[in-house]
Amino acid sequence: MKRFTKGLTAVFVLVLLVGVCVGFGEASSKVRIALVLASTTDDMAWSQSMYDALLALQKQLGKDKMELVVSERLGNPVDAGAAIRQYADQGFDIVIAHGAQFQSVVFEVAEDFPKTSFAYGSAFKTAPNVFAYEPLAQQGAYLNGLLAGYMTKTGIVAVVGPVESGDAVKYNYGFEQGVRAANPKANFRIAYTGSFGDVVGAGELAKVHMDAGADFLTGSSQQAVGAVRACAERPGVYWLATDMDQSSLAPDKVLASQVYHWEKLVSHMLDLRAQGIIGGQHLYLSFADGTLEFRVSPKLADKIPADVMSKIEKAKQEIIDGTLVIELPKGTK
Amino acid sequence: MQGIVISDVIIGILATGVRLLAPFLFASLGEMFCQRSGVFNLGVEGIMMMGAFVGFFVTLRLGNPYLGVVMAILAGIVLGLLMALISVTMQAPQGISGIGLHMFCWGLSGLLFRVYVGFITSIDGFKPLPIPGLADIPVLGPILFQHNWMVYLSILFVPISWFVLFKTNWGLKVRAVGVAPQAADTLGVNVNAVRYQCLMLGGALAGLAGAFLTVGQANMYADNITAGRGFIAVALVYFGRWNPVGILLGSLLFSMMNSLQLWIQVLGINFPYEFAVILPYVVTIAALAVAVKNVWAPTALGKPFRRESI
Amino acid sequence: MLKIHGISFEQKQDPGRCRITMESQEGLRIKDVKMQGIVKTFPGVLANDHVDIDVHAGEILALLGENGAGKTTLMKVLYGLYRPDSGEILINDEPVSISSPRDAIDLGIGMVHQHFMLVPSLTVTENVVLGLRSSRGPLLDLESAAKRIEELASRYSLAVDPYSPVWQLSIGEQQRVEIIKALYRGAELLIMDEPTAVLTPQEADELIRVMRGMADSGRAIILITHKLHEVMAVSDRVTVLRNGRLVDTVLTKDANEKLLAQMMVGRDIPQTLRTDETSQGDPVLVLDDVWADSDKGPPALRGLSLEVREGEILGIAGVSGNGQREMAEVIAGLRKISSGSVRLKGEDMTNSTPAKMIQAGLGYIPEDRIVDGIVQSFSVEENLILKDHHKPPFSHGIFLQKDAISEFAKEMVEIYDIRTPSIDTQASHLSGGNIQRLILARDISRNPACLLACYPSRGLDIAATEYVRKKLLDVRAAGCAIILISEELEEIFNLSDRVAVLYEGQIVKVADVDDVTLDEIGLLMAGAGLTETDDGNSRELVDMI
Repeated sequence: MKRFTKGLTAVFVLVLLVGVCVGFGEASSKVRIALVLASTTDDMAWSQSMYDALLALQKQLGKDKMELVVSERLGNPVDAGAAIRQYADQGFDIVIAHGAQFQSVVFEVAEDFPKTSFAYGSAFKTAPNVFAYEPLAQQGAYLNGLLAGYMTKTGIVAVVGPVESGDAVKYNYGFEQGVRAANPKANFRIAYTGSFGDVVGAGELAKVHMDAGADFLTGSSQQAVGAVRACAERPGVYWLATDMDQSSLAPDKVLASQVYHWEKLVSHMLDLRAQGIIGGQHLYLSFADGTLEFRVSPKLADKIPADVMSKIEKAKQEIIDGTLVIELPKGTK
Repeated sequence: MQGIVISDVIIGILATGVRLLAPFLFASLGEMFCQRSGVFNLGVEGIMMMGAFVGFFVTLRLGNPYLGVVMAILAGIVLGLLMALISVTMQAPQGISGIGLHMFCWGLSGLLFRVYVGFITSIDGFKPLPIPGLADIPVLGPILFQHNWMVYLSILFVPISWFVLFKTNWGLKVRAVGVAPQAADTLGVNVNAVRYQCLMLGGALAGLAGAFLTVGQANMYADNITAGRGFIAVALVYFGRWNPVGILLGSLLFSMMNSLQLWIQVLGINFPYEFAVILPYVVTIAALAVAVKNVWAPTALGKPFRRESI
Repeated sequence: MLKIHGISFEQKQDPGRCRITMESQEGLRIKDVKMQGIVKTFPGVLANDHVDIDVHAGEILALLGENGAGKTTLMKVLYGLYRPDSGEILINDEPVSISSPRDAIDLGIGMVHQHFMLVPSLTVTENVVLGLRSSRGPLLDLESAAKRIEELASRYSLAVDPYSPVWQLSIGEQQRVEIIKALYRGAELLIMDEPTAVLTPQEADELIRVMRGMADSGRAIILITHKLHEVMAVSDRVTVLRNGRLVDTVLTKDANEKLLAQMMVGRDIPQTLRTDETSQGDPVLVLDDVWADSDKGPPALRGLSLEVREGEILGIAGVSGNGQREMAEVIAGLRKISSGSVRLKGEDMTNSTPAKMIQAGLGYIPEDRIVDGIVQSFSVEENLILKDHHKPPFSHGIFLQKDAISEFAKEMVEIYDIRTPSIDTQASHLSGGNIQRLILARDISRNPACLLACYPSRGLDIAATEYVRKKLLDVRAAGCAIILISEELEEIFNLSDRVAVLYEGQIVKVADVDDVTLDEIGLLMAGAGLTETDDGNSRELVDMI
């Protein structure tokens, strides 16, 4: 056992050394971005939306102008904190901790590395070298809700929720307002699995929703893909996606998606850094600046009646104009 | 509550409960054999992950879910062998070995998925297979006889496991080596061979349980798809007091409570969701607390067998 | 009839001669078994050093030696549980390789272990057929196995119910299951490791008859023992081991107990006996109508009453499992009682705590000296002050006084002759005898008013045993009231002033040792005093109760 522990320590130290060497070996002419994720880069939701965006940005800028590294499966903030500190120590310019749960560790590390930019979200609390970012998830949720409310045949619309917190609350609240605005008589149902990553559990919850009569379903977090797949089995049921376009998983079922364009947000961050602003700002994804997109599946576009579509377009415009404000539940910002 | 008939809800709750049962039954029955033989295999969760991945991957590439299940079982056997090598032959502490196996499998399944698949995609798994004649029985039909074949198989494994454990020569050896390995050894029973066999069987069933998640339930694969179900299966072995019937009761209680809480939430019954999601755990633990204790636990559980240390 | 210590044994008719009867011609294969030049070492211990033994069909060979002489190791080599470092085993003069119990069983060798090798959760039949091929292939065939067990049982007078779970059986019955297990596998050489250690005198007597019967049917038996009277009563030849080496093999008829004892120990050992008069002091510890539950639920103590007086040793006789452990725990304050009372030096100590009992003057030599008697990872000196570590001179305020502790420990090591490399040595590294000396030193040096000694000589060699017994007599002479729980009736009779018989959680009899015989006590231990009234002797006992 002792030998085992020693061996493990040796391997660990070796890994650290290699990491540090590689880190310092880089030239400083390009921007270096590190991404810390709670789930994986292929979760087809929150984490993948950010990772894909950063890849797109890298492609746009060129590999010689932007370096990107990523650490996955760091759902435990303590482990994530170690990774964040390591990246800062290695001289990365921007360390993105993609989750609200990383707030305290980000602030802890940011104090020790005042020249490094940190970014995290969804959140609003900032520091001189910490950006907070936040998708206005309730905006797209409202449009998804309108679509469900207008189109439901059974009159039952359902949410497959993860845990009642953060973005999920904002999204669900916006979705409910959309449903009620379109169809005051609709039966709006919401249930949670108690987990962010239980794909099977989300699938089972979706099946129960459908067994109980729901024909329009939605839900956020990486577990939602399980629910999308469950919908694919049932006729006459549609899924409304958020975070990213999930239609590849069920092309006949994902009617519309709220898509996050993180690349624009990160690009904005780079511009700010060029002006010498390395943090302290609260950044949003919104329809107004195109960082939020409401995307109707081209394959299923003809399923949506023209009048419904125009009502949604109108609502979107009102949101952009500021004439329509989507409420948030009391106590959330 | 409009548009919902109470009897439909009850049928829905029970049918969902039966469907949720299968992975727990497979994994728990396998773990029961391991623990009966004296090996505490905490790696079940990891083996399930690998079974889930292999079942998914073979189905995705070859389009044959049956082949996927077979390969998942084989993967489970290999991992069971690995656990046996570590905990039986090399006599490493079993708890740590199991956790290690879990972490190894999590890493490996994630890696294989990243390298060979790369993105979340879906497969065509098993469709429900209503049993002719029985499926049309009112009430009972939808609850029991309109599932996919793996659900039936998992329930069938309960009497089979019971028979193997209590009515066969091999089952007698398993029961003996977990309680008194020294005594079994003096009668010429190869204690470590029996433990190897049990770990391979446990691995096969954990692989099957994992395959059920991807091929029989979710029809897709994602990272950490087991989400703790393997650990629950280990707990259910204790709940079931190392007896297949007890394990069936425990799994049934847990699954039904899970189904019940889903339906409570979905129907919007005024009940805090935080309490709903922990309901299965609370009820199962409460039931365990009052369950019969007067049974023979495998007293040699967790102890590697060394002949010359008698 | 031979009478030793009041227990009668049927003497064999013709010692030394093989009695091949009709049955042996039915196909018994083993004529003789030889072990030659067996060497077996464990880390730091030479357990067997070039040992030769041989045994023939139809004879009983006694393998005699002290604890640690290497008897059991040698037999485990023969049974394939240990691999010898060198040496060979011959059956009918053919060398054989025995690398596992399976090989031994196939060759016709069976072993009844000192600590029974039974699976308590299984039934008798399941235990017997474990590891055997079934007549129905992969399926168990318990019915026909049970039938064969009943046949064997009636042929060799080994009455036992094939369908009982083993954990429900008495020790004597469990031993019969062990013998049946060996016979069922066709054992022609049966190794019995200290088979009478756990039995009442009557059960031991019965077992010896069974062994004789098996030998008469042409089987060979090796009996491991350190009880001289058993050797004399039952064996044809005796092989004596000492410190892993062969001392000699002699015909039993040419030997006597004194000679064998000398061979076994290597020198003359005087027997420790109480010689002075029985004390008549005041009661120190009084238990009155004590009821206490066992771990499993039903009461283990059912209205137990006893009193121990100043300056006397009260011996508790009884087959283990009749409430000894629970009684000791109640006295030590470790077990709650449901009714009754416990008084120590006149003070009510009912349902007290271990700490209060210790402070009130109770000394305790626990049954499991390694688990309950010491803290294994502590040093010798730490163990010596365990009970008084919080009091001067060992501690001052919250600090331990290192110098005072060392001084005390050195003194104890000196006086009690504890063989230890240093006082800082971890207690778990000491031998059993030295651990017992350490416990005696700790508990006796506190001048207890009452000393509870549970199986104080169990598992110790002769020298250590005599030391412990002498110390108990010393403490008694100093006025201490001593309760001696022992499975060795001889020990109780040699040391005690009075003997109390514990049966099913009650003291069924208390008498001065000079007024009773071993025979009477043996019957009472088996419960005869409560039920049998048809024979004059027992009726008299019942009247006495």
